[in-house]
Amino acid sequence: MTRLAIAINMHRCIGCQTCSNACKMENNVPMGMLWTRTIAENCDVTDGAVGEFPNLTRTYLPMACQHCENPACQKVCPTGATYKDDMGRVEIDYDKCIGCRMCMAACPYNVRVFNWNDPNRDPDFNYGDKDVPVRSKGVMEKCTLCKERTDRGEEPMCVVCCPTKARIYGDLDDPNSEISQIKRQRSVRILLEERGTKPQVFYFE
Amino acid sequence: MTVSSKTKCTMGLLAALALAGVGCWIFQLVRGLGVTGMSNSNSWGLYITMFMLFVGLSAGGLIVASSASVFHIERYKRVAVPAVITSIVCICVAGMFILIDLGGIQRIWRIVTGPNFVSPLLWDVCVITIYLVINILDLVWMCGKKADEHKVEVLSRIALPVAILVHSVTAWIFGLQIAKAWYSAIMAPIFVASACDSGLALLLVALIALNAAGVFKVEKSLIKSLSGLLAVFIAVDAFFVGCEVLTMAYPGASESVALSHMVSGATAPFFWFEIVCGLLVPFLILVFSKNREKTGLVVVASALVILGVAAKRVWLLFTSFITPNVYGAPGIPAGTATAIGNPSPDVWMTLGTYAPTAPEVMIVVGVISLGVLAFMVLSNKLLRGVDGAAAR
Repeated sequence: MTRLAIAINMHRCIGCQTCSNACKMENNVPMGMLWTRTIAENCDVTDGAVGEFPNLTRTYLPMACQHCENPACQKVCPTGATYKDDMGRVEIDYDKCIGCRMCMAACPYNVRVFNWNDPNRDPDFNYGDKDVPVRSKGVMEKCTLCKERTDRGEEPMCVVCCPTKARIYGDLDDPNSEISQIKRQRSVRILLEERGTKPQVFYFE
Repeated sequence: MTVSSKTKCTMGLLAALALAGVGCWIFQLVRGLGVTGMSNSNSWGLYITMFMLFVGLSAGGLIVASSASVFHIERYKRVAVPAVITSIVCICVAGMFILIDLGGIQRIWRIVTGPNFVSPLLWDVCVITIYLVINILDLVWMCGKKADEHKVEVLSRIALPVAILVHSVTAWIFGLQIAKAWYSAIMAPIFVASACDSGLALLLVALIALNAAGVFKVEKSLIKSLSGLLAVFIAVDAFFVGCEVLTMAYPGASESVALSHMVSGATAPFFWFEIVCGLLVPFLILVFSKNREKTGLVVVASALVILGVAAKRVWLLFTSFITPNVYGAPGIPAGTATAIGNPSPDVWMTLGTYAPTAPEVMIVVGVISLGVLAFMVLSNKLLRGVDGAAAR
């Protein structure tokens, strides 16, 4: 089996949002939505900090689909449009999506985005990878772990473009992969671990 | 059958509102769900609120009607036909709200060709379909040409558990979501309890209205007896709500965020309206035997119960959307049309906010009007001139 995943080095992330733009360009993500975004955790203003001067901390947290082993979104989908593929990725079959948004309510990470309107693009044409399917109005979408790229054996675009090399991509089922070694050896943070969704994506210092 | 000009006027107005609703729905189909107030951070809105409310209103009617048959409560059997009519109308209204809420209704056949049996939404589709069929069979066997009391009695034994199940499954759409504050085992009992009180309240209002319109005669003693039952249902509902709130509050842990929105935040007006006007006041009215004899007070109490349960749907649904589990700025990309048109401030939502838009409200008004219209037509056709006892 294969369990593709991304590990994110929190110490290296500088909150530049390059991953968001790289993903948007690669995957033809329309205006008004993103598949990955970086938040300043527990802050109510962008790039804010937590605490009182001079004792301030700031944690940048890149957020995208966690490709859970026990995906809450996949269980609730009435048509099986959301599925777990044999590479361990959580994917969406857009032709099957009826736009009920059950998965959106079920996802604890708020990483799904819905086409509330006809997708609006600026520039006014489809951009990105030619193999990425175009999504229509009324369907759900989210990070596919760059399905089209990873199918070809390439790394996801956010991993390629991260200027600080904060993202490490690999197979968790291969014990010798860099990502498996990090998961074994480093202190690892799993987002909302207590919810039991078992994300494959994880964070480390 | 003869229909007064006043009734005709009301029906005409309702039909016009329903048509306006259809117009707005077509507008929504063309433009997408972006014409509503929903967004990526608050992804369910007024349609789902109304869906929950009307499933409850429907289940209540059938629970009373079939309990009468199952437990041989002779005097309640009299109201079985109007109860089944309200039940049919409300379940159709609820179903319409689910269909209207779908972003890709043209792909709905995918539910049939590739069902995921683990999804509570699939259970709901199945149970609501069965429920509607039972309701229609009930009505046919109660007052059709082939009226057959024995068949009704047998069917009632299936109808009662299905009526309870239909509301439990609706609760599980929410109650099984680990992601939200909805995640609670009491969700199904709470939904069944509010189905019983709001459904019975609606039945009372309908019976009093039918009596006043001279369509269907109901004795005062029956209204009084049903009102007493309503008081009991209100108390059970209040007990469950109390259990849930205490369980949320006591540990002071993760659910306290949702609780603070509920008791003192954005959804607090709805929460307190339900507690005071939806549970406390109607209970205090109906608990006294003398008050139950006054039709006016019964109508006021019933209307308050229905409004209170509607308010409950609001706080139950929206409280969970306010603070995301992983909180931080800039937040969640809203994805709405306004966000696309005005990217800099509107594209991000740190907290979930929601307000229904005009087309959304018009669609809801249209669907409810259609429901009331259907109720008037059905009750005029099936009840007028027929005494309740004769119908059975």
